[in-house]
Amino acid sequence: MFNVKISLFSGTRELEHKIDLMHDKVIESAMYFKEAFAIFLKEKRSTSYRRASKKIKNIESQADDLRREIESSLYAQNLIPDLRADVLQLVENIDKVINEFDEVAHKFYIEQPDIPLQYQEDFKVLVHQVSDCAENMAIASRAFFRDFATVRDYSQKVYFLEHESDKTWAKLKQNVFDSDMELAHKIQLNMLIGDVADVADKAEDCIDALLIFTIKRDI
Amino acid sequence: MELSYLFYLSSGLFLGWSLGANDASNIFGTAVGSKMVRFTTIALISCFFIILGSVYGGSGTSQTLGSLGAVNALAGAFMVALAAALAVYSMARTGLTVSSSQAVVGAIIGWNIYAGKPTDLEVLAQICSTWTICPLLSGVVAVLLYGLFKKTLQYSHLHLLMQDQITRIGLVVTAAISAYALGANNIANAVGMFVESCPFKPIHIGNVGTFTPEQVLFFLGAVAVSVGILTYSKKVIMTVGNNLMKMTPISAWIVVLAQAIVLLLFSSVSLHNWLEAHSLPALPLVPVSSTQAVIGAIVGIGLLKGGRGINWAIVGKIIVGWVAAPVISLTICFISLFFLENVFNQIVYLPD
Repeated sequence: MFNVKISLFSGTRELEHKIDLMHDKVIESAMYFKEAFAIFLKEKRSTSYRRASKKIKNIESQADDLRREIESSLYAQNLIPDLRADVLQLVENIDKVINEFDEVAHKFYIEQPDIPLQYQEDFKVLVHQVSDCAENMAIASRAFFRDFATVRDYSQKVYFLEHESDKTWAKLKQNVFDSDMELAHKIQLNMLIGDVADVADKAEDCIDALLIFTIKRDI
Repeated sequence: MELSYLFYLSSGLFLGWSLGANDASNIFGTAVGSKMVRFTTIALISCFFIILGSVYGGSGTSQTLGSLGAVNALAGAFMVALAAALAVYSMARTGLTVSSSQAVVGAIIGWNIYAGKPTDLEVLAQICSTWTICPLLSGVVAVLLYGLFKKTLQYSHLHLLMQDQITRIGLVVTAAISAYALGANNIANAVGMFVESCPFKPIHIGNVGTFTPEQVLFFLGAVAVSVGILTYSKKVIMTVGNNLMKMTPISAWIVVLAQAIVLLLFSSVSLHNWLEAHSLPALPLVPVSSTQAVIGAIVGIGLLKGGRGINWAIVGKIIVGWVAAPVISLTICFISLFFLENVFNQIVYLPD
Protein backbone atom coordinates (compact mmCIF):
# COMPACT_ATOMS: atom_id res chain seq x y z
CA MET A 1 0.00 0.00 0.00
CA PHE A 2 2.81 2.34 1.00
CA ASN A 3 4.68 1.60 -2.25
CA VAL A 4 1.57 2.19 -4.34
CA LYS A 5 1.06 5.54 -2.63
CA ILE A 6 4.67 6.51 -3.24
CA SER A 7 4.68 5.58 -6.94
CA LEU A 8 1.31 7.24 -7.56
CA PHE A 9 2.43 10.63 -6.29
CA SER A 10 6.24 10.48 -6.67
CA GLY A 11 6.27 12.20 -10.09
CA THR A 12 4.06 14.95 -8.74
CA ARG A 13 6.18 15.41 -5.62
CA GLU A 14 9.34 15.72 -7.73
CA LEU A 15 7.75 18.35 -9.93
CA GLU A 16 6.42 20.21 -6.87
CA HIS A 17 10.00 20.27 -5.59
CA LYS A 18 11.30 21.67 -8.91
CA ILE A 19 8.68 24.44 -8.92
CA ASP A 20 9.65 25.30 -5.34
CA LEU A 21 13.33 25.37 -6.38
CA MET A 22 12.48 27.75 -9.23
CA HIS A 23 11.00 30.19 -6.72
CA ASP A 24 14.05 29.76 -4.48
CA LYS A 25 16.23 30.78 -7.42
CA VAL A 26 14.43 34.15 -7.73
CA ILE A 27 15.00 34.88 -4.05
CA GLU A 28 18.64 33.75 -4.24
CA SER A 29 19.35 35.86 -7.35
CA ALA A 30 17.73 38.92 -5.71
CA MET A 31 19.89 38.52 -2.60
CA TYR A 32 23.12 37.99 -4.59
CA PHE A 33 22.25 40.96 -6.78
CA LYS A 34 22.04 43.24 -3.73
CA GLU A 35 25.31 41.80 -2.44
CA ALA A 36 27.05 42.14 -5.81
CA PHE A 37 25.97 45.77 -6.19
CA ALA A 38 27.29 46.65 -2.73
CA ILE A 39 30.64 45.09 -3.69
CA PHE A 40 30.64 46.97 -7.02
CA LEU A 41 30.14 50.32 -5.29
CA LYS A 42 33.11 49.60 -3.05
CA GLU A 43 35.49 47.74 -5.34
CA LYS A 44 34.21 48.06 -8.92
CA ARG A 45 35.41 45.20 -11.16
CA SER A 46 37.20 43.23 -8.45
CA THR A 47 37.62 39.49 -7.96
CA SER A 48 34.90 39.61 -5.32
CA TYR A 49 32.51 41.27 -7.76
CA ARG A 50 33.41 38.73 -10.42
CA ARG A 51 32.62 35.93 -7.93
CA ALA A 52 29.27 37.49 -6.96
CA SER A 53 28.34 38.04 -10.61
CA LYS A 54 29.32 34.45 -11.41
CA LYS A 55 26.98 33.19 -8.65
CA ILE A 56 24.06 35.01 -10.31
CA LYS A 57 25.08 33.53 -13.67
CA ASN A 58 25.03 30.02 -12.15
CA ILE A 59 21.61 30.61 -10.61
CA GLU A 60 20.37 31.80 -14.00
CA SER A 61 21.61 28.71 -15.78
CA GLN A 62 20.15 26.41 -13.05
CA ALA A 63 16.83 28.24 -13.42
CA ASP A 64 16.94 27.66 -17.19
CA ASP A 65 17.43 23.91 -16.62
CA LEU A 66 14.62 23.85 -14.07
CA ARG A 67 12.28 25.68 -16.46
CA ARG A 68 12.93 23.13 -19.21
CA GLU A 69 12.45 20.19 -16.83
CA ILE A 70 9.19 21.65 -15.46
CA GLU A 71 7.88 22.26 -18.97
CA SER A 72 8.65 18.76 -20.21
CA SER A 73 7.35 17.09 -17.02
CA LEU A 74 4.05 18.97 -17.24
CA TYR A 75 3.52 17.66 -20.76
CA ALA A 76 5.02 14.19 -20.28
CA GLN A 77 2.92 13.47 -17.18
CA ASN A 78 -0.15 15.22 -18.66
CA LEU A 79 -0.57 17.26 -15.47
CA ILE A 80 -3.06 20.10 -14.79
CA PRO A 81 -4.39 20.15 -18.39
CA ASP A 82 -6.67 23.12 -17.68
CA LEU A 83 -3.96 25.29 -16.10
CA ARG A 84 -0.85 23.92 -17.85
CA ALA A 85 -0.47 26.86 -20.22
CA ASP A 86 -0.81 29.30 -17.31
CA VAL A 87 1.80 27.50 -15.21
CA LEU A 88 4.19 27.38 -18.16
CA GLN A 89 3.77 31.12 -18.74
CA LEU A 90 4.29 31.75 -15.04
CA VAL A 91 7.53 29.74 -15.00
CA GLU A 92 8.75 31.61 -18.09
CA ASN A 93 7.95 34.98 -16.48
CA ILE A 94 9.88 33.98 -13.35
CA ASP A 95 12.82 32.95 -15.52
CA LYS A 96 12.76 36.35 -17.26
CA VAL A 97 13.20 38.11 -13.89
CA ILE A 98 16.20 35.91 -13.05
CA ASN A 99 17.67 36.57 -16.53
CA GLU A 100 17.30 40.29 -15.96
CA PHE A 101 19.26 40.11 -12.68
CA ASP A 102 22.03 38.25 -14.49
CA GLU A 103 22.12 40.65 -17.45
CA VAL A 104 22.32 43.76 -15.26
CA ALA A 105 25.02 42.26 -13.02
CA HIS A 106 27.03 41.34 -16.13
CA LYS A 107 26.54 44.80 -17.61
CA PHE A 108 28.06 46.37 -14.50
CA TYR A 109 31.02 44.01 -14.87
CA ILE A 110 31.56 44.83 -18.56
CA GLU A 111 30.86 48.58 -18.57
CA GLN A 112 32.38 49.41 -15.14
CA PRO A 113 30.33 52.61 -14.84
CA ASP A 114 31.62 55.35 -12.65
CA ILE A 115 28.83 56.13 -10.19
CA PRO A 116 29.49 59.51 -8.51
CA LEU A 117 29.21 59.43 -4.72
CA GLN A 118 26.15 61.73 -4.59
CA TYR A 119 24.08 59.17 -6.61
CA GLN A 120 25.25 56.03 -4.88
CA GLU A 121 22.63 56.13 -2.09
CA ASP A 122 19.72 56.47 -4.53
CA PHE A 123 21.23 53.73 -6.70
CA LYS A 124 21.40 51.47 -3.63
CA VAL A 125 17.77 52.27 -2.76
CA LEU A 126 16.71 51.41 -6.33
CA VAL A 127 18.59 48.09 -6.23
CA HIS A 128 16.95 47.18 -2.90
CA GLN A 129 13.50 48.13 -4.15
CA VAL A 130 13.72 46.01 -7.31
CA SER A 131 15.20 43.07 -5.39
CA ASP A 132 12.41 43.22 -2.77
CA CYS A 133 9.91 43.50 -5.59
CA ALA A 134 11.26 40.29 -7.21
CA GLU A 135 11.32 38.47 -3.85
CA ASN A 136 7.67 39.33 -3.18
CA MET A 137 6.80 38.25 -6.70
CA ALA A 138 8.37 34.85 -5.94
CA ILE A 139 6.37 34.57 -2.70
CA ALA A 140 3.14 35.47 -4.52
CA SER A 141 3.88 32.96 -7.25
CA ARG A 142 4.64 30.23 -4.70
CA ALA A 143 1.35 31.02 -2.95
CA PHE A 144 -0.47 30.45 -6.27
CA PHE A 145 0.41 26.77 -5.99
CA ARG A 146 -0.45 26.22 -2.33
CA ASP A 147 -2.46 29.02 -0.79
CA PHE A 148 -3.92 31.15 -3.53
CA ALA A 149 -5.93 33.26 -1.09
CA THR A 150 -2.69 35.09 -0.15
CA VAL A 151 -1.55 35.76 -3.75
CA ARG A 152 -3.38 39.07 -3.64
CA ASP A 153 -1.57 40.24 -0.48
CA TYR A 154 1.90 39.74 -1.95
CA SER A 155 0.80 41.11 -5.31
CA GLN A 156 -0.12 44.38 -3.63
CA LYS A 157 3.39 44.54 -2.13
CA VAL A 158 4.88 44.01 -5.62
CA TYR A 159 2.75 46.82 -7.07
CA PHE A 160 3.76 49.13 -4.23
CA LEU A 161 7.48 48.38 -4.57
CA GLU A 162 7.37 48.74 -8.36
CA HIS A 163 5.74 52.14 -7.96
CA GLU A 164 8.38 53.17 -5.43
CA SER A 165 11.17 51.98 -7.74
CA ASP A 166 9.63 54.04 -10.58
CA LYS A 167 9.83 57.15 -8.38
CA THR A 168 13.45 56.44 -7.46
CA TRP A 169 14.30 55.78 -11.13
CA ALA A 170 12.71 59.10 -12.22
CA LYS A 171 14.51 61.03 -9.47
CA LEU A 172 17.88 59.46 -10.28
CA LYS A 173 17.45 60.02 -13.99
CA GLN A 174 16.63 63.70 -13.49
CA ASN A 175 19.59 64.21 -11.14
CA VAL A 176 21.97 62.54 -13.60
CA PHE A 177 20.87 64.73 -16.50
CA ASP A 178 20.90 67.87 -14.31
CA SER A 179 24.55 67.21 -13.42
CA ASP A 180 27.71 68.50 -15.15
CA MET A 181 28.86 65.06 -16.26
CA GLU A 182 29.82 64.27 -19.86
CA LEU A 183 26.83 63.41 -22.03
CA ALA A 184 28.22 59.93 -22.73
CA HIS A 185 28.52 59.33 -18.99
CA LYS A 186 24.96 60.57 -18.42
CA ILE A 187 23.64 58.26 -21.15
CA GLN A 188 25.54 55.28 -19.79
CA LEU A 189 24.20 55.84 -16.23
CA ASN A 190 20.69 56.48 -17.57
CA MET A 191 20.71 53.16 -19.41
CA LEU A 192 21.97 51.29 -16.36
CA ILE A 193 19.33 52.90 -14.12
CA GLY A 194 16.70 51.85 -16.68
CA ASP A 195 18.01 48.27 -16.75
CA VAL A 196 17.88 47.99 -12.95
CA ALA A 197 14.33 49.40 -12.88
CA ASP A 198 13.34 46.89 -15.58
CA VAL A 199 13.63 44.07 -13.02
CA ALA A 200 10.67 45.53 -11.10
CA ASP A 201 8.72 46.02 -14.35
CA LYS A 202 9.23 42.36 -15.24
CA ALA A 203 8.11 41.31 -11.74
CA GLU A 204 5.01 43.48 -12.15
CA ASP A 205 4.20 41.88 -15.55
CA CYS A 206 4.49 38.50 -13.88
CA ILE A 207 2.05 39.54 -11.15
CA ASP A 208 -0.45 40.94 -13.70
CA ALA A 209 -0.64 37.54 -15.37
CA LEU A 210 -0.59 35.72 -12.03
CA LEU A 211 -3.70 37.53 -10.79
CA ILE A 212 -5.61 36.41 -13.89
CA PHE A 213 -4.39 32.83 -13.42
CA THR A 214 -5.60 33.00 -9.80
CA ILE A 215 -9.13 33.88 -10.93
CA LYS A 216 -9.05 30.88 -13.29
CA ARG A 217 -7.69 28.63 -10.54
CA ASP A 218 -10.77 29.18 -8.36
CA ILE A 219 -12.94 26.03 -8.42
CA MET B 1 -39.58 -18.83 -27.81
CA GLU B 2 -36.15 -17.63 -26.71
CA LEU B 3 -35.28 -16.41 -30.20
CA SER B 4 -38.51 -14.48 -30.72
CA TYR B 5 -38.09 -13.03 -27.22
CA LEU B 6 -34.62 -11.82 -28.15
CA PHE B 7 -36.08 -10.25 -31.31
CA TYR B 8 -38.66 -8.33 -29.26
CA LEU B 9 -36.04 -7.48 -26.69
CA SER B 10 -33.95 -5.83 -29.42
CA SER B 11 -35.90 -2.56 -29.05
CA GLY B 12 -35.06 -2.52 -25.33
CA LEU B 13 -31.43 -3.24 -26.14
CA PHE B 14 -31.48 -0.40 -28.69
CA LEU B 15 -32.87 1.90 -25.98
CA GLY B 16 -30.13 0.63 -23.67
CA TRP B 17 -27.51 1.36 -26.33
CA SER B 18 -28.77 4.94 -26.77
CA LEU B 19 -28.88 5.36 -22.98
CA GLY B 20 -25.23 4.32 -22.81
CA ALA B 21 -24.26 6.56 -25.70
CA ASN B 22 -26.02 9.62 -24.23
CA ASP B 23 -25.76 9.22 -20.47
CA ALA B 24 -22.07 8.26 -20.31
CA SER B 25 -21.29 11.93 -20.85
CA ASN B 26 -23.03 12.61 -17.51
CA ILE B 27 -20.73 10.16 -15.74
CA PHE B 28 -17.35 11.04 -17.20
CA GLY B 29 -17.92 13.55 -20.00
CA THR B 30 -16.03 16.42 -18.41
CA ALA B 31 -13.24 14.16 -17.14
CA VAL B 32 -12.54 13.03 -20.71
CA GLY B 33 -13.32 16.40 -22.30
CA SER B 34 -10.84 18.18 -20.02
CA LYS B 35 -8.21 15.48 -20.76
CA MET B 36 -7.96 14.58 -17.06
CA VAL B 37 -8.64 10.89 -17.68
CA ARG B 38 -8.24 8.66 -20.75
CA PHE B 39 -11.52 7.63 -22.42
CA THR B 40 -10.75 3.89 -22.65
CA THR B 41 -9.77 3.60 -18.96
CA ILE B 42 -12.83 5.36 -17.59
CA ALA B 43 -15.23 3.81 -20.13
CA LEU B 44 -14.19 0.26 -19.18
CA ILE B 45 -14.47 1.01 -15.45
CA SER B 46 -17.92 2.55 -16.00
CA CYS B 47 -19.12 -0.45 -18.05
CA PHE B 48 -18.11 -2.84 -15.26
CA PHE B 49 -19.95 -0.84 -12.60
CA ILE B 50 -23.03 -0.28 -14.76
CA ILE B 51 -23.37 -4.06 -15.16
CA LEU B 52 -22.84 -4.51 -11.41
CA GLY B 53 -25.42 -1.82 -10.55
CA SER B 54 -27.98 -3.17 -13.02
CA VAL B 55 -27.72 -6.79 -11.86
CA TYR B 56 -27.60 -6.13 -8.12
CA GLY B 57 -29.58 -2.91 -7.72
CA GLY B 58 -31.91 -2.63 -10.72
CA SER B 59 -35.00 -4.24 -9.19
CA GLY B 60 -36.18 -1.30 -7.03
CA THR B 61 -36.93 1.18 -9.81
CA SER B 62 -38.21 -1.54 -12.12
CA GLN B 63 -40.99 -2.34 -9.62
CA THR B 64 -42.12 1.30 -9.65
CA LEU B 65 -42.25 1.35 -13.45
CA GLY B 66 -44.14 -1.97 -13.31
CA SER B 67 -46.76 -0.47 -11.02
CA LEU B 68 -47.23 2.43 -13.45
CA GLY B 69 -48.13 0.00 -16.22
CA ALA B 70 -47.48 -3.74 -16.26
CA VAL B 71 -46.82 -4.28 -19.96
CA ASN B 72 -47.99 -7.90 -20.17
CA ALA B 73 -47.47 -8.75 -23.85
CA LEU B 74 -44.14 -9.11 -25.52
CA ALA B 75 -45.06 -7.15 -28.66
CA GLY B 76 -46.43 -4.36 -26.44
CA ALA B 77 -43.18 -4.21 -24.47
CA PHE B 78 -41.28 -4.15 -27.77
CA MET B 79 -43.28 -1.14 -28.92
CA VAL B 80 -43.01 0.70 -25.59
CA ALA B 81 -39.21 0.43 -25.74
CA LEU B 82 -39.11 1.28 -29.44
CA ALA B 83 -41.37 4.33 -29.02
CA ALA B 84 -39.17 5.61 -26.19
CA ALA B 85 -36.01 4.97 -28.21
CA LEU B 86 -37.48 6.73 -31.28
CA ALA B 87 -38.55 9.71 -29.15
CA VAL B 88 -35.04 9.94 -27.66
CA TYR B 89 -33.42 9.57 -31.09
CA SER B 90 -35.66 12.09 -32.91
CA MET B 91 -35.32 14.70 -30.17
CA ALA B 92 -31.58 14.22 -29.90
CA ARG B 93 -31.34 14.86 -33.65
CA THR B 94 -33.06 18.23 -33.22
CA GLY B 95 -30.49 19.13 -30.57
CA LEU B 96 -32.81 18.81 -27.56
CA THR B 97 -31.47 17.13 -24.42
CA VAL B 98 -33.65 14.13 -23.74
CA SER B 99 -34.35 12.06 -20.68
CA SER B 100 -34.88 8.41 -21.51
CA SER B 101 -36.71 8.01 -18.17
CA GLN B 102 -39.36 10.49 -19.28
CA ALA B 103 -39.64 8.95 -22.73
CA VAL B 104 -40.23 5.51 -21.16
CA VAL B 105 -42.89 6.85 -18.77
CA GLY B 106 -44.66 8.54 -21.72
CA ALA B 107 -44.55 5.30 -23.74
CA ILE B 108 -45.92 3.20 -20.83
CA ILE B 109 -48.83 5.63 -20.40
CA GLY B 110 -49.38 5.38 -24.18
CA TRP B 111 -49.61 1.57 -23.77
CA ASN B 112 -52.00 1.96 -20.80
CA ILE B 113 -54.30 4.21 -22.83
CA TYR B 114 -54.21 1.90 -25.86
CA ALA B 115 -54.81 -1.22 -23.77
CA GLY B 116 -57.56 0.50 -21.80
CA LYS B 117 -55.72 -0.14 -18.53
CA PRO B 118 -55.97 2.43 -15.75
CA THR B 119 -52.83 4.45 -15.04
CA ASP B 120 -52.05 4.56 -11.35
CA LEU B 121 -52.26 8.30 -10.87
CA GLU B 122 -50.58 8.14 -7.50
CA VAL B 123 -47.51 6.43 -8.99
CA LEU B 124 -47.60 8.82 -11.96
CA ALA B 125 -47.70 11.82 -9.62
CA GLN B 126 -44.82 10.30 -7.65
CA ILE B 127 -42.75 9.84 -10.83
CA CYS B 128 -43.58 13.30 -12.21
CA SER B 129 -42.70 14.92 -8.88
CA THR B 130 -39.22 13.40 -9.10
CA TRP B 131 -38.68 15.22 -12.42
CA THR B 132 -38.68 18.42 -10.38
CA ILE B 133 -37.23 17.06 -7.15
CA CYS B 134 -34.28 15.34 -8.88
CA PRO B 135 -32.67 18.46 -10.47
CA LEU B 136 -33.51 20.59 -7.39
CA LEU B 137 -32.03 18.04 -4.99
CA SER B 138 -29.01 17.61 -7.22
CA GLY B 139 -28.52 21.40 -7.28
CA VAL B 140 -28.71 21.60 -3.48
CA VAL B 141 -26.28 18.67 -3.05
CA ALA B 142 -23.87 20.27 -5.56
CA VAL B 143 -23.98 23.63 -3.75
CA LEU B 144 -23.28 21.93 -0.40
CA LEU B 145 -20.42 19.91 -1.91
CA TYR B 146 -19.03 23.03 -3.59
CA GLY B 147 -18.92 24.85 -0.24
CA LEU B 148 -17.30 21.84 1.43
CA PHE B 149 -14.66 21.43 -1.30
CA LYS B 150 -13.87 25.14 -1.30
CA LYS B 151 -13.37 25.26 2.47
CA THR B 152 -11.29 22.07 2.43
CA LEU B 153 -9.01 23.40 -0.31
CA GLN B 154 -8.69 26.73 1.45
CA TYR B 155 -7.50 25.18 4.71
CA SER B 156 -5.59 22.16 3.44
CA HIS B 157 -3.03 24.22 1.42
CA LEU B 158 -2.66 21.34 -1.01
CA HIS B 159 -0.20 21.92 -3.81
CA LEU B 160 -1.85 22.57 -7.18
CA LEU B 161 -0.23 19.44 -8.64
CA MET B 162 -1.33 17.22 -5.74
CA GLN B 163 -4.81 18.68 -6.03
CA ASP B 164 -4.77 17.75 -9.72
CA GLN B 165 -3.79 14.14 -8.95
CA ILE B 166 -6.46 13.80 -6.25
CA THR B 167 -9.05 15.24 -8.65
CA ARG B 168 -8.13 12.59 -11.23
CA ILE B 169 -8.51 9.77 -8.71
CA GLY B 170 -11.74 11.37 -7.47
CA LEU B 171 -13.12 11.58 -11.00
CA VAL B 172 -12.43 7.89 -11.63
CA VAL B 173 -13.85 6.73 -8.26
CA THR B 174 -16.91 8.96 -8.64
CA ALA B 175 -17.45 7.74 -12.20
CA ALA B 176 -17.48 4.16 -10.84
CA ILE B 177 -20.04 5.06 -8.13
CA SER B 178 -22.02 7.06 -10.64
CA ALA B 179 -21.98 4.17 -13.14
CA TYR B 180 -23.24 1.80 -10.44
CA ALA B 181 -26.01 4.28 -9.58
CA LEU B 182 -26.90 4.75 -13.26
CA GLY B 183 -27.11 0.99 -13.76
CA ALA B 184 -29.24 0.52 -10.64
CA ASN B 185 -31.52 3.44 -11.41
CA ASN B 186 -31.83 3.46 -15.19
CA ILE B 187 -31.71 -0.18 -16.31
CA ALA B 188 -35.48 -0.33 -15.73
CA ASN B 189 -35.85 2.28 -18.47
CA ALA B 190 -34.16 0.07 -21.03
CA VAL B 191 -35.54 -3.39 -20.27
CA GLY B 192 -37.90 -2.92 -17.28
CA MET B 193 -40.97 -3.33 -19.50
CA PHE B 194 -39.82 -6.87 -20.47
CA VAL B 195 -39.78 -8.13 -16.86
CA GLU B 196 -43.44 -9.25 -16.95
CA SER B 197 -42.86 -11.46 -20.00
CA CYS B 198 -39.33 -12.59 -19.11
CA PRO B 199 -38.80 -16.24 -20.16
CA PHE B 200 -35.28 -16.72 -18.74
CA LYS B 201 -34.55 -19.41 -16.17
CA PRO B 202 -32.50 -18.80 -13.02
CA ILE B 203 -28.76 -19.32 -13.57
CA HIS B 204 -26.67 -20.99 -10.88
CA ILE B 205 -22.95 -20.22 -10.90
CA GLY B 206 -21.11 -22.56 -8.51
CA ASN B 207 -20.69 -20.98 -5.10
CA VAL B 208 -21.04 -17.43 -6.49
CA GLY B 209 -24.84 -17.55 -6.24
CA THR B 210 -28.00 -17.69 -8.30
CA PHE B 211 -29.08 -15.08 -10.79
CA THR B 212 -32.84 -14.58 -11.06
CA PRO B 213 -34.47 -14.31 -14.53
CA GLU B 214 -34.88 -10.58 -13.88
CA GLN B 215 -31.15 -10.24 -13.17
CA VAL B 216 -30.31 -12.10 -16.39
CA LEU B 217 -32.53 -9.67 -18.28
CA PHE B 218 -30.88 -6.69 -16.58
CA PHE B 219 -27.46 -8.13 -17.39
CA LEU B 220 -28.35 -8.19 -21.12
CA GLY B 221 -29.65 -4.63 -20.87
CA ALA B 222 -26.48 -3.50 -19.08
CA VAL B 223 -24.33 -5.10 -21.80
CA ALA B 224 -26.28 -3.04 -24.37
CA VAL B 225 -25.68 0.11 -22.29
CA SER B 226 -21.97 -0.76 -22.15
CA VAL B 227 -21.82 -1.24 -25.91
CA GLY B 228 -23.43 2.21 -26.25
CA ILE B 229 -20.73 3.68 -24.01
CA LEU B 230 -17.86 2.01 -25.84
CA THR B 231 -19.09 2.66 -29.39
CA TYR B 232 -20.76 6.05 -29.40
CA SER B 233 -20.35 8.02 -26.15
CA LYS B 234 -16.97 9.52 -27.07
CA LYS B 235 -18.58 11.20 -30.07
CA VAL B 236 -21.39 12.59 -27.88
CA ILE B 237 -18.88 13.83 -25.27
CA MET B 238 -16.79 15.63 -27.89
CA THR B 239 -19.89 17.20 -29.50
CA VAL B 240 -21.73 18.24 -26.34
CA GLY B 241 -18.65 19.38 -24.41
CA ASN B 242 -19.06 22.15 -21.86
CA ASN B 243 -21.67 24.20 -23.66
CA LEU B 244 -23.99 24.66 -20.68
CA MET B 245 -21.30 26.21 -18.49
CA LYS B 246 -17.50 26.17 -18.55
CA MET B 247 -16.31 24.08 -15.64
CA THR B 248 -13.02 23.39 -13.92
CA PRO B 249 -12.08 19.73 -13.27
CA ILE B 250 -13.00 20.12 -9.58
CA SER B 251 -16.42 21.57 -10.43
CA ALA B 252 -16.91 18.69 -12.86
CA TRP B 253 -16.05 16.25 -10.09
CA ILE B 254 -18.60 17.92 -7.77
CA VAL B 255 -21.28 17.72 -10.48
CA VAL B 256 -20.70 14.00 -11.07
CA LEU B 257 -20.60 13.34 -7.32
CA ALA B 258 -23.89 15.21 -6.77
CA GLN B 259 -25.45 13.24 -9.62
CA ALA B 260 -24.22 9.92 -8.18
CA ILE B 261 -25.58 10.76 -4.71
CA VAL B 262 -28.98 11.75 -6.08
CA LEU B 263 -29.24 8.68 -8.32
CA LEU B 264 -28.31 6.43 -5.39
CA LEU B 265 -30.96 8.12 -3.21
CA PHE B 266 -33.57 7.34 -5.86
CA SER B 267 -32.50 3.73 -6.40
CA SER B 268 -31.05 2.21 -3.21
CA VAL B 269 -33.58 -0.25 -1.79
CA SER B 270 -31.63 -0.70 1.45
CA LEU B 271 -31.40 3.08 2.01
CA HIS B 272 -35.13 3.38 1.26
CA ASN B 273 -35.95 0.63 3.78
CA TRP B 274 -33.61 2.09 6.39
CA LEU B 275 -35.19 5.56 6.10
CA GLU B 276 -38.70 4.11 6.33
CA ALA B 277 -37.73 1.94 9.33
CA HIS B 278 -36.54 5.06 11.14
CA SER B 279 -39.72 7.01 10.23
CA LEU B 280 -37.71 9.35 8.00
CA PRO B 281 -39.02 10.66 4.65
CA ALA B 282 -37.76 8.23 2.00
CA LEU B 283 -37.44 9.17 -1.65
CA PRO B 284 -39.47 7.02 -4.06
CA LEU B 285 -37.56 4.34 -5.97
CA VAL B 286 -38.04 5.86 -9.39
CA PRO B 287 -35.81 5.87 -12.47
CA VAL B 288 -34.73 9.49 -12.66
CA SER B 289 -32.82 11.20 -15.42
CA SER B 290 -29.07 11.44 -14.91
CA THR B 291 -29.11 14.33 -17.40
CA GLN B 292 -31.56 16.22 -15.20
CA ALA B 293 -29.41 15.53 -12.14
CA VAL B 294 -26.30 16.82 -13.92
CA ILE B 295 -28.05 19.92 -15.21
CA GLY B 296 -29.49 20.61 -11.75
CA ALA B 297 -25.99 20.37 -10.26
CA ILE B 298 -24.41 22.62 -12.93
CA VAL B 299 -27.12 25.26 -12.58
CA GLY B 300 -26.81 25.06 -8.77
CA ILE B 301 -23.08 25.78 -8.89
CA GLY B 302 -23.61 28.42 -11.59
CA LEU B 303 -26.19 30.25 -9.46
CA LEU B 304 -23.88 30.09 -6.45
CA LYS B 305 -21.23 31.83 -8.56
CA GLY B 306 -23.73 34.57 -9.49
CA GLY B 307 -25.36 32.94 -12.52
CA ARG B 308 -23.24 34.80 -15.09
CA GLY B 309 -21.54 31.70 -16.52
CA ILE B 310 -24.75 29.82 -17.34
CA ASN B 311 -26.01 29.65 -20.90
CA TRP B 312 -29.71 30.25 -20.16
CA ALA B 313 -30.76 29.67 -23.78
CA ILE B 314 -29.57 26.06 -23.46
CA VAL B 315 -31.31 25.69 -20.08
CA GLY B 316 -34.57 26.85 -21.73
CA LYS B 317 -34.10 24.35 -24.55
CA ILE B 318 -33.53 21.57 -22.01
CA ILE B 319 -36.76 22.42 -20.15
CA VAL B 320 -38.68 22.31 -23.45
CA GLY B 321 -37.18 18.85 -24.00
CA TRP B 322 -38.33 17.70 -20.56
CA VAL B 323 -41.94 18.63 -21.36
CA ALA B 324 -41.88 17.35 -24.93
CA ALA B 325 -40.20 13.95 -24.35
CA PRO B 326 -43.08 12.11 -22.58
CA VAL B 327 -45.70 13.65 -24.89
CA ILE B 328 -43.83 12.59 -28.05
CA SER B 329 -43.13 9.04 -26.84
CA LEU B 330 -46.77 8.65 -25.69
CA THR B 331 -47.99 9.66 -29.14
CA ILE B 332 -45.50 7.43 -31.01
CA CYS B 333 -46.34 4.46 -28.76
CA PHE B 334 -50.12 4.84 -29.12
CA ILE B 335 -50.04 5.13 -32.93
CA SER B 336 -47.46 2.34 -33.36
CA LEU B 337 -49.41 -0.06 -31.13
CA PHE B 338 -52.43 0.46 -33.39
CA PHE B 339 -50.35 -0.51 -36.45
CA LEU B 340 -48.66 -3.42 -34.68
CA GLU B 341 -52.01 -4.87 -33.64
CA ASN B 342 -54.06 -4.20 -36.77
CA VAL B 343 -51.48 -4.37 -39.57
CA PHE B 344 -49.00 -6.93 -38.19
CA ASN B 345 -51.57 -8.90 -36.18
CA GLN B 346 -49.50 -8.93 -33.00
CA ILE B 347 -50.92 -9.25 -29.49
CA VAL B 348 -49.87 -6.01 -27.86
CA TYR B 349 -51.72 -6.52 -24.55
CA LEU B 350 -53.43 -9.31 -22.69
CA PRO B 351 -56.85 -8.74 -21.13
CA ASP B 352 -56.97 -8.90 -17.31
